[in-house]
Order: sequence, then structure tokens, then C-alpha cells
Amino acid sequence: MNITLKVWRQKNADAPGALVEYNVAGVVPEMSFLEMLDALNERLVAEGQDPVAFDSDCREGICGMCDLVIDGQAHGPDKEATTCQLHMRRYRDGDVVTVEPFRAKAFPIVKDLCVDRSAFDRVQAAGGFVSINTGNAVDGNAILIPHDEAEKAMDAAACIGCGACVAACPNASAMLFVAAKVSQYALLPQGRPEREKRVLAMREAMDQEGFGHCTNEYECEAACPKGIKVSNIARLNREYLRAALTSD
Amino acid sequence: MVAAAGLLLCGFLAAHLLGNLLMFAGGGAFNAYAEALEHNPLLPLAEIGLVALFVLHIILSVRATVINRAARPEGYRVYRGKGARTPGSRTMALTGTLILVFIVVHVATFKFDLGGLKGPDLYGHVLGWFANPWYAAFYVLAVGGVGLHLSHGAQSAIQTFGVSHPRYTPLLKTAGLGFAFLIFLGFASLPVYFGFVQKRQACCTGGAHS
Ligand code: HEM
Ligand code: FES
Repeated sequence: MNITLKVWRQKNADAPGALVEYNVAGVVPEMSFLEMLDALNERLVAEGQDPVAFDSDCREGICGMCDLVIDGQAHGPDKEATTCQLHMRRYRDGDVVTVEPFRAKAFPIVKDLCVDRSAFDRVQAAGGFVSINTGNAVDGNAILIPHDEAEKAMDAAACIGCGACVAACPNASAMLFVAAKVSQYALLPQGRPEREKRVLAMREAMDQEGFGHCTNEYECEAACPKGIKVSNIARLNREYLRAALTSD
Repeated sequence: MVAAAGLLLCGFLAAHLLGNLLMFAGGGAFNAYAEALEHNPLLPLAEIGLVALFVLHIILSVRATVINRAARPEGYRVYRGKGARTPGSRTMALTGTLILVFIVVHVATFKFDLGGLKGPDLYGHVLGWFANPWYAAFYVLAVGGVGLHLSHGAQSAIQTFGVSHPRYTPLLKTAGLGFAFLIFLGFASLPVYFGFVQKRQACCTGGAHS
């Protein structure tokens, strides 16, 4: 099939960008969306043109490196799927598809569809860890954790940090990401000793990176490829209130 | 803070509505209620508190809106989302502004008697205004705005306060929607009944109402 792409092209962070139209011929349904972009790039390189810059790594939906806003939807039209897991069987011959980068002040565009998501790393570094002495491995049964708590923590830990929540949020807020990271520790005994310090530091870092404020629109949950629930944001708000009221 | 002020304002709305619904009980009951309210020594205190809540709510929500616009300096050429936004959530700033305009008009006419319709009793004063179809229609539109604002605001505040429970939160959210709808119905019932229904009855049966 033939697909017409309107792709955001931008030379660097400061250059103005624009949508550029490309025709991609010979697309087959089995191709992933990224393989279709690969095909476009092979042609562009063969023609001596600058290929479209975009991010990806594992291409199996677990690393969180691929991004893209496709026809106005972060990671494209599928539910709970990353862009690399989107396949061309979703499209029909002659479709026109607009491809843009994740847009947020905190995610500056590097080139074309590549954005710099290191703001997430800095938020994580502000408190998204547990301070422990790495000595001998302790007995796995020394700390008992109820199964349902463990499940909830695992669900939060499923976040791959791709940034789709920020891209989809009308306010470019990072609350779902921070909520997942805060929750995964707050739910487990190992994370509890530092819970106040952690939530205060991560919220502070989040605001400093220039993310917007959450107004509970829930587009983040709808866009999340890992199905992270907004109940985590409620937990984050709870943790934050608790810390703001009790920590010294 | 936006949520806290918003929720307290909801409390005011509920009380205000209950008082106003006394209009259906006739002029006597409504006037007696208004009289008692006006002579309550705590009223000025309550008024100051109410104004403070509004100012707090507006300043903080405008600030958040400005920050949120700045958080995405260059918008999407195509933005579709995945269907989580609601008519209420999309229009918070719009309905908020509508409410503000309405409150100014509302307080100017009913409290400070702009337009000079103040008669001997408040009941007749209100009826006088509702007799103006434009005023009554604007009133309905504005309380529609309040309802829409609350359709998002109520559940939003619940989430902001960190309430989340697999069973009770959906119930609470439905209750919030119901509250928004009741507030709209309740407030809208007054101008609709006194401004349109009763006026027509009065004109067509020839009998003036007492
Ligand atoms: C009767 C009066 C009002 C009530 C009961 C009310 C109630 C609420 C509530 C409960 C929220 C949700 C807070 C949150 O979860 O963060 C909210 C948000 C908001 N309100 Fe109001 N409000 C009123 C008047 C106004 C006015 C006069 C304005 C502006 C001029 C305004 C603008 C906003 C904005 C911009 C938001 C934030 C939007 C969002 O969270 O998506 N409101 N309001
Ligand atoms: S490339 Fe790893 S998740 Fe898509």
C-alpha cells in the first residue's frame, strides 16, 4: 500500500520546524510503523537526502525509547502499545498520517522527531531510589510483603519512562511518571523509610524541569503503553500531602 | 489549593441553593430567610470569607493555567488525544470566566441594586429581574456554566486530595457529577419557573400572582 506521511522536520533545537510530506510506497501490513519509517529513510539516503531522525531501541515495547505523536495520539492509535508495537495493518492504502515529536518545554527537540527526555532522568535522580548498603544478600523472606501490595507496586514499576504521559497531557504534566515512580517505592517496605524525602524531592525536581500542573484530564492514562493507572496520581497526591504535613 | 477553595465554594453553592429554593415556598418564607440572613452578625465575616475563597481560587487557577500553557510552547499541529477529556474539562477556563462575569452581574443587581428594581421585599425584587427574559436566560446559561465547571471540578478535587479506592472512588465521582447536575437544575429552576412558566400562566389566565 501507499502511505502519505506528513513528518515534522526540524534541523536542531533552535531552528524552526515544519511538516514535510513524503510518499512511502510498497508498505506491507506486517511492517511496524518504525520499519515503515526505516523504509522511508533508506530511500532518502539513497537519494542523498537527510534521513528523518527518530528514536528507538528494543523495538519490542519494553525500553521506552520510541516516542512519536501519530495523528495527534502519543504512540499512535492502539491502546497500551508503544510506537514500535504499532503495525501498518492498522492503516489502509492511501492514508495520510501526521507524525510529530513529543512536545513539551521539558522535552526540547534535538532534531526532527528526536526529543531530549533527560528531564525524566533528573527527576528520578532526585529521589527515585532506595538508599541501601550493598552488603550480603539478605534472606528473601526476612521482609514479608502482602501479595496484593506487591502486585500494585509491580504495576507501577511497569512504567518504562517513555514520556507518552507528558506528550498526551494537555498541560505537558509529568504527574503519571512521577506517580508511578513514587508509588513503586511507597508500596513496599524497603521504600517507606525515605518516602517523605523522596516525594518532596521528586515533585520539586518535576516543577523545576518545567512540566505543567496536573488538572486531572486523564489523557496520560489513556496514552500510557503500560496501562499505568491514574490511581497512582491519587497516591502521589496523598504521599505529597502526608509529607508536606509531617516532614520537618 | 484550587481544589480546597473550589470544594468550599461548593459548600456555599449548596447552602445558597437551599436558601433560594425557599422562593418556591412563597414570598413570605423567602423574605423571612433573607431577613434573618441579613441580620445575622456573622454575615459580613462570611462575605469576606467567600470573597477570599473566590480570589484564592481564581488567582491560583489562572496561575496554573499560565504555567500549563508555558509547559508546551509549541503546540501540536494535530492533537486528538485518546478520549479521556470531557466537555467540562476542556472548558474550565471558559466556564470559570462565565461564572465570574455572572457573579459580578448577580451581586450588582441583587445586592447593590444596580438597575433600581429594589422594592419593599427581596422576593419581588428577584421576580422583577426574572421577568426580564434576557436576564433570566443569562442566569440559566451561567448556572449551566457552573454545572459544567463542577462536572470536571468535583471529580478533579477528589483526585487532587488523593482519594482513591477501587469501589468508592467511582461512586464518589458519580456523586460529584450528580451534585453538579443538581446544582444546575436547582438554580436554573428559579428563573425558568418564575421568569417563564409563572409569567405565562399569569398572562394567560389573567390572574396576577400574589
Ligand atoms: C461557584 C464558583 C466556583 C466553584 C464552586 C468552583 C469549583 C472548582 C473546583 C472544585 C475545581 C477543581 C479543582 C482541582 O481539582 O484542582 C475548579 C477548578 C478550576 N476553576 Fe473553579 N469554581 C468556581 C468559580 C471559578 C471562577 C470564577 C473561575 C475563574 C475565573 C474558575 C476557574 C477555575 C479553573 C481555571 C480551574 C482549574 C481547571 C482544572 O483543574 O482543570 N472557577 N473549580
Ligand atoms: S523501541 Fe523500545 S519500547 Fe519502542
